Amino acid sequence: MKLTQGFRMAIKSVLSSKLRTALSMLGILIGVATVIALVGMGQGSTKQVEEQVASLGTNSLSVTITGRGTATSLSLDDAMALADIPNVEGVSPTVSGSATVKYGKNSTSVTVEGITPDYEQVSDFSVQSGRYIASMDVKNTQKVALIGVDTATELFEEEDPVGKTIQVNGSRFTIVGLLEAKGSSLTGSNDEKIAIPITTGQKLFDSVGVRTVALKVTDLDLMDITVAALEAKLLEKFRGDDSSYRVFNQQDAVETLNSVNETMNTMLLYVAAITLLVGGIGVMNIMLVSVTERTREIGIRKSLGAKRRDILFQFLVEAVVISGMGGALGIGFGYLGSYVIGVVNGTDTSVPFNTVILSFAFSAFVGIVFGIFPANKASRLKPVDALRHD
Amino acid sequence: MTNESSGILIDINNLVKNYVMGRETVTILKGVSFQVEKGDFVAIVGPSGSGKSTMMNVIGCLDTPTDGSYKLDGIEVRGMSENKLADIRNKKIGFIFQGFHLLPRLTALENCELPLIYRGLPAKQRRAMAMKALEQVGLGERVHHRPSELSGGQQQRVAIARALATNPPILLADEPTGALDMKTGQEVLQLMEDLNRQGHTIVLITHDMEVAHRASRTVIMRDGVLTEERRDRDEADAGVQDGDQERLVKQA
Repeated sequence: MKLTQGFRMAIKSVLSSKLRTALSMLGILIGVATVIALVGMGQGSTKQVEEQVASLGTNSLSVTITGRGTATSLSLDDAMALADIPNVEGVSPTVSGSATVKYGKNSTSVTVEGITPDYEQVSDFSVQSGRYIASMDVKNTQKVALIGVDTATELFEEEDPVGKTIQVNGSRFTIVGLLEAKGSSLTGSNDEKIAIPITTGQKLFDSVGVRTVALKVTDLDLMDITVAALEAKLLEKFRGDDSSYRVFNQQDAVETLNSVNETMNTMLLYVAAITLLVGGIGVMNIMLVSVTERTREIGIRKSLGAKRRDILFQFLVEAVVISGMGGALGIGFGYLGSYVIGVVNGTDTSVPFNTVILSFAFSAFVGIVFGIFPANKASRLKPVDALRHD
Repeated sequence: MTNESSGILIDINNLVKNYVMGRETVTILKGVSFQVEKGDFVAIVGPSGSGKSTMMNVIGCLDTPTDGSYKLDGIEVRGMSENKLADIRNKKIGFIFQGFHLLPRLTALENCELPLIYRGLPAKQRRAMAMKALEQVGLGERVHHRPSELSGGQQQRVAIARALATNPPILLADEPTGALDMKTGQEVLQLMEDLNRQGHTIVLITHDMEVAHRASRTVIMRDGVLTEERRDRDEADAGVQDGDQERLVKQA
C-alpha cells in the first residue's frame, strides 16, 4: 500500500466521524495553543526586560553606600578618586532624595538627584534642550536644575520650562535644561525627576557624602577585575567594614533576570508537555475505542489482503492526522490567544517561529507515540476473530 | 470452459484443526481430505457446529490448520507467515460473506477497490478493474452509492464484485444467501452460476441443501468429517436451468 493512499484513507476515515475527531483533537489543540500563547507571552516579557536592561547599559557598575556617619561615608572627592581604577571610564556620584517642587500653582513630589557633569555620559542621559549641569555649577553650589519630561509637563503644562524658576523644598532653582525622555527602567521612572548639582543636593538633603556612585567601564571583559579592584579600594576606605557598601554589577543583574526568565520559560515548557501528554492520552483513548469499534472492519480488510503493517500504518496515520490537525488548529488558537493577551495586558507578545514548528512536530510525535499502542493492537487481531466480532 | 485441461486448485490432505478452549482441546476438523479442481462449483453443506465454517476459514487462509497439508494452487499454506497468508488472500481468494462485510463509509466502487489498494496498484488501474467487476455483476450505474443506499441483493452483488475485482482463482462464498430473501437469494445464486460458467472456481458453504444443489458438486460435512460426496445432481433440481444441464454434461 502506498503512503499517499494511506494518508488519503486515514483523512477520509477521520473526517467521517467529525464529532469524535473534534473531541479527541481538543486535548492536543489546547496543549499546543497553551504552548504558543504562553511562550509568546514569555518571549514578550523577556524582550521587554532585555530592552530595559539594555537602556541602563550593561557596562555600568554601581556602588551603593549603606553606612551612616563619617567613618562609613564616601566623600565626593573619594568618589571622584574611583576614576583612577584601571578600566574605569567614568564616575558619576549621586545623592538623591525626594522633594516637593512648585511652579506657580502647580506642585508635585519628585525624586531629586544631585549629579555631576559626568552623569550625562555614565548614565547615558542627556538634555533635549537647554544645557547640562556644568562643573562650575558643582563647584559653586549653583541652584540650577534639569527637569524630566513628565515633571515638566506636570508643572509647566505646555510652557517651555528652560529658564523658569521653580521652588524645591522652598529654595528657588533655575531650570537650565530639559532632560530627554527615557521611559521607565527597573529603578522607576526616569522622566519624573529633577537633577541638580551634587553639592547643591548635599546641602538640600543635609548629607555629607554621596549615596551612590555609578561607574562606567571601558571593557566589558575586564568587568570582574574592575569589580575586584573597586571592592579592594572601598574595603580599604571603610577599614574592612564591607557591610556599609554594596557593589552592584549591571551584568549580574542581566544574568539574574535572564535566569529568572529562563526558569519561567522552562516551567512553561513543563506545563505544555504535561498538557500535550494528557492530550496524547486522549488521542490514545479514542484510538483504542476506535479499534474495538472497527474490529470487523479490520477483519474485512485483513480478509481482503491487508497485511499487519497496512493495518498498523492505517491506525497510526489516523492518530497522527488527529493530533496533527489538533496541533495545526492549536497554533491558530495560540496565535490568537497571545495576540489577545498582548492587547489586554498591553504588553508585547511575540511567538518565535521555531516554537510553532516545534510544538507542531511535538503534537505529531505525540500522535505517533500514543497511536502505536492502539495501532499495534489492531494489527495483531486475527482475521477470523475480527470477522466474527459484532 | 476449461475444466478438462486444468489441475487441482485446492488439495487438502488429512487436515486437522484444534481449538484450545480453556483447558480442553477441541478438535473441529478430524482429518479432512478434499480436492477442488479448477472450474468446479463445490458446495460444502453441513449443520451448524459441523466444522464447515472452520473449513471455510482454513480454505480462505483466515485460519491455519493444526496438522495435515493444504496446498492452494500448488503452494503449501501450512506454516506460512501472517504476511504471506495476507498476500495469498489478496491474490488467490475472493471472499463472499453472509453479512456482505462491506465497509459502510465507502462507496460501492471504493469497496471494490479495497483489495486492489492492498495489492498496491495505481489508482487508474484500480478504478478500471473495480468498474469492470461491478459491471460484471450488473451494478455499473450504482457505483457511487454507499452500502446503506443499496438493497441487500445489491450489497451482496457489490461484495461479489469486490471478490471478483482481483480476478482470483477461487471464489469462497460463506452462506451468500443467508441474509437475503428468497428472490434475491435466487438472483445471487444465478449470478454465481453465471460466474462459474465463465470459468470461476467457486466454493460455497451453506447449511441449506437447496442452495447446495445449485452447485455442481456437493460435499457434506458432519462432526468434523467429510461424510458424503455427490457429484450427481439431485433429481429435484434436474432440468431447472439450461446452464446446469450444460455443466452436467461436461461433468459427466
